[in-house]
Amino acid sequence: LSSGAVSRIVATESAQPLADARGGAGEPWPGAPIPPPPSHRWQWLTARVAIALFVATLLGSLWMLHRSELEEDRGSLIRDALWVEQNIQFNLERDIEQLRDLAADSRGGVVDQHQFETRTRHLLPSSAGLLRVVLLDVDGALRASAPGSNEQSSGVPWVDAESEPDYRLARSVGRPAYGPAHLVAGEQQLEVFVPFYRDGALAGTVVGIYGLKAILAGLVPWWLAEKHWVTIRDAAGNVLAAKSNVEADGRPELTHQAALDPPGHGLLLNVESYGTKTLLLRNLLAVVILGLAAAVTWSVWSMRRHIQRRMDTERALQEEHAFRKAMEDSLVTGMRAVDLEGRIIYVNPAFCQMVGYPASELLGRPGPQPYWPVEEHDHIAEALRNARRPGAPRAGIELELVRRDGERFEALLYEAPLIDAQGHQAGWMGSLLDITERKRAREQVRLQEEKLAATARLVTMGEMASAIAHELNQPLSAIASYLTGCLNFLESGGKSTEEIGPALKKAAQQAQRAGHIIRRVHAFVRKSEPTRSRVRINAVIEEAIAFAEGEARKRRMRVRSRLCEANPELEADPLLLQQVLLNLLRNAMDAMADTPAGQREIVVTSEVAGAMVHVGVADHGCGMSPEVQGLLFSAFFSTKKDGMGMGLNICRSILELHRGRVWAEPAPHGGTVFFFSLPLEAI
Amino acid sequence: MSDGIVHVVDDDAAIRDSLCWLLRSRGLPAHHWDSGEAFLAGFTDDTARCIVLDVRMEGLSGVEVFDQLLARRCRVPVIFLTGHGDVPLAVTALKSGAFDFVEKPFNDNQLVDRIIEAMKVCEVRLQEQHAEAEVAVRLGQLTTRERQVMERVLAGELNKQIADALDIAIRTVEVHRARIFEKLGVRSAVELAGLVLKHKG
Repeated sequence: LSSGAVSRIVATESAQPLADARGGAGEPWPGAPIPPPPSHRWQWLTARVAIALFVATLLGSLWMLHRSELEEDRGSLIRDALWVEQNIQFNLERDIEQLRDLAADSRGGVVDQHQFETRTRHLLPSSAGLLRVVLLDVDGALRASAPGSNEQSSGVPWVDAESEPDYRLARSVGRPAYGPAHLVAGEQQLEVFVPFYRDGALAGTVVGIYGLKAILAGLVPWWLAEKHWVTIRDAAGNVLAAKSNVEADGRPELTHQAALDPPGHGLLLNVESYGTKTLLLRNLLAVVILGLAAAVTWSVWSMRRHIQRRMDTERALQEEHAFRKAMEDSLVTGMRAVDLEGRIIYVNPAFCQMVGYPASELLGRPGPQPYWPVEEHDHIAEALRNARRPGAPRAGIELELVRRDGERFEALLYEAPLIDAQGHQAGWMGSLLDITERKRAREQVRLQEEKLAATARLVTMGEMASAIAHELNQPLSAIASYLTGCLNFLESGGKSTEEIGPALKKAAQQAQRAGHIIRRVHAFVRKSEPTRSRVRINAVIEEAIAFAEGEARKRRMRVRSRLCEANPELEADPLLLQQVLLNLLRNAMDAMADTPAGQREIVVTSEVAGAMVHVGVADHGCGMSPEVQGLLFSAFFSTKKDGMGMGLNICRSILELHRGRVWAEPAPHGGTVFFFSLPLEAI
Repeated sequence: MSDGIVHVVDDDAAIRDSLCWLLRSRGLPAHHWDSGEAFLAGFTDDTARCIVLDVRMEGLSGVEVFDQLLARRCRVPVIFLTGHGDVPLAVTALKSGAFDFVEKPFNDNQLVDRIIEAMKVCEVRLQEQHAEAEVAVRLGQLTTRERQVMERVLAGELNKQIADALDIAIRTVEVHRARIFEKLGVRSAVELAGLVLKHKG
């Protein structure tokens, strides 16, 4: 907590007027929490909607991409399928031409096995999927086959029952016809029947036997097989032959079927795309996008939570601050902080109210402060130094301060070090209590008690005086009566001297009785003998001054002492001497009641003059008239309203007990000096 | 007056003695008592003409003695001697019928003058008392019938009316009347009324 920071805080706080700072009970605290503005919610909603739209757009575009890719795949699939289909058809048609040519060559009639094989030798390898070529005679019996087989022409029709209708159809219409696919030795095969004529009559049939699998193997190139699964299926959709053993997952949108006609019979060319690679990439992309979206959402949410937390903290801080401010404003104790150079860095409203200065006039001010009475500057500065000394007692120091309007007040200040958050001392924190009323009440009680005691003393004295008066009355009355009686007798001349004599004697006895009473009173008073000890005169004086200082301060008077260095020792009752000094000091204070405040000074001096020590108490008071000076030491004489007129008498009695004396002189600078002298040698 | 005695009650011997000396110097016989108790026991008011009481005494105080005298219906004037501070007490006593109070130390001849005044007052009172006693004695000598007749005479009734009321002869009424006048030493009905009224008042 640097002093600069504190002063800044204070400066902003003190900017508002004092009355505001104290505030009415109904008003909210100046720092009360403010609810979040309504735009805040909209901001969050907008952020959320933006995130949702962003994610939706990403997903949408991803889907569109997927769609277009699918379309493109499908296009290429269809293209590829058509290409395969056409290739197959083209091959089959070309084969039919060649088979027809082969038949034409066989028109000569009988073609033996060897010839047939020779003729077909170049045909078989060049024709994809053509497994075998068979020559049937007009009756349908096997005449030759290539490649050759163990089958010999047996005159039995070669065509099996399944292909029979197509064989017959071919012969009847004289055009080539395909038989259905059927399973031969674990392989789907189909036949093409090409009838040939000689001289206008049916001469026989050339049969080409195709393996479906071989067709696919020969006519589907590798690059296509790599992308697609190419199969030939029957009308029911059963796979009759496939290019690859790797099956596609058979999604309908990536499948194209085309009828294979020829050979017909419901055979279908089925092409399915694998399309796995693109899917993986896309999924990855989608996952990344979703992941990023989730990350953005999470970060926004966590940011929001963070801000929320921050706002909560801020609000709590504001509330705490407002509470502390309210607390500090409602304090009755004045608080003020000073930095290490003594400049005020903080004051609370109670303090301002107490001293009557607004905070703006106090902040940043180095000592002496405006609320220190001018003549107390040194005293206050020293009291503060003492209170700030390390190890100084924690008890508050009593100070007399002055308000702006000039009113004085007594204050109790507790000074404590101000430690900042880093543990360094930044200055001093003081709490100030106005104890004027308390002191006044205490003073009132003290005065009351003093008055009571004085009254009690007076009553006692009255009682004593009354008792003495009564005691003395008796002999005095008797004397008067005797003497009056004597006079009466003498006037009337009725009695002789012998008769009057006893009465006079009795009167004399009564006079003696009165004397006894007086001596008894003396003896009673003498009972309080002083208890003497060896004391240093300056110590006695200083103790008496310390005793009177409190009262002097209250009456804004100062007691100075100018004591002799010799500081002689004498034999005396210190308590009684202090009583003398206190009486003289009190008289001096009373004499200065009307003296201007600056000049209210009492000077106590001591000096050795021969065998005596002289002690003087000089005031700057009103002085004395000659009449007063004449009556000074007579009992029951007082210039004070409530005075008993005993003080100086007591002083004189005490000094006489010590073989000293007391007298008064006008002081050279106005006022009066009371001196008393005491002998130095032992009494 | 020559046979009247002043009683001085004070516990202080010097005061007692000196006061008696003073009174004797003015020709007044005085008798002194050293306490209230002794005074109350030995005192008779036949010859007493004044009592001087000290307020503050050992035992019974002056005021207490005075209260007892009042209870005894003693009518001798009392003068209090007071010391310093006893004045309120003396004033109270004055209100209940004391003659005066004198503060010590007193001006002696003034005190004696006050005592003489008190004795004169006492003398007058005694004479009055004496006359009253005489009337009472004379009234006591009347017979019952004479008393009845006297009351009617005092009521202003004529002899005839009295005779009718008491059922006696007028002549008898006249005889009674003459005897009443003779016994009481009066010469007319008016004198009679004055005497009786004074006695009753």
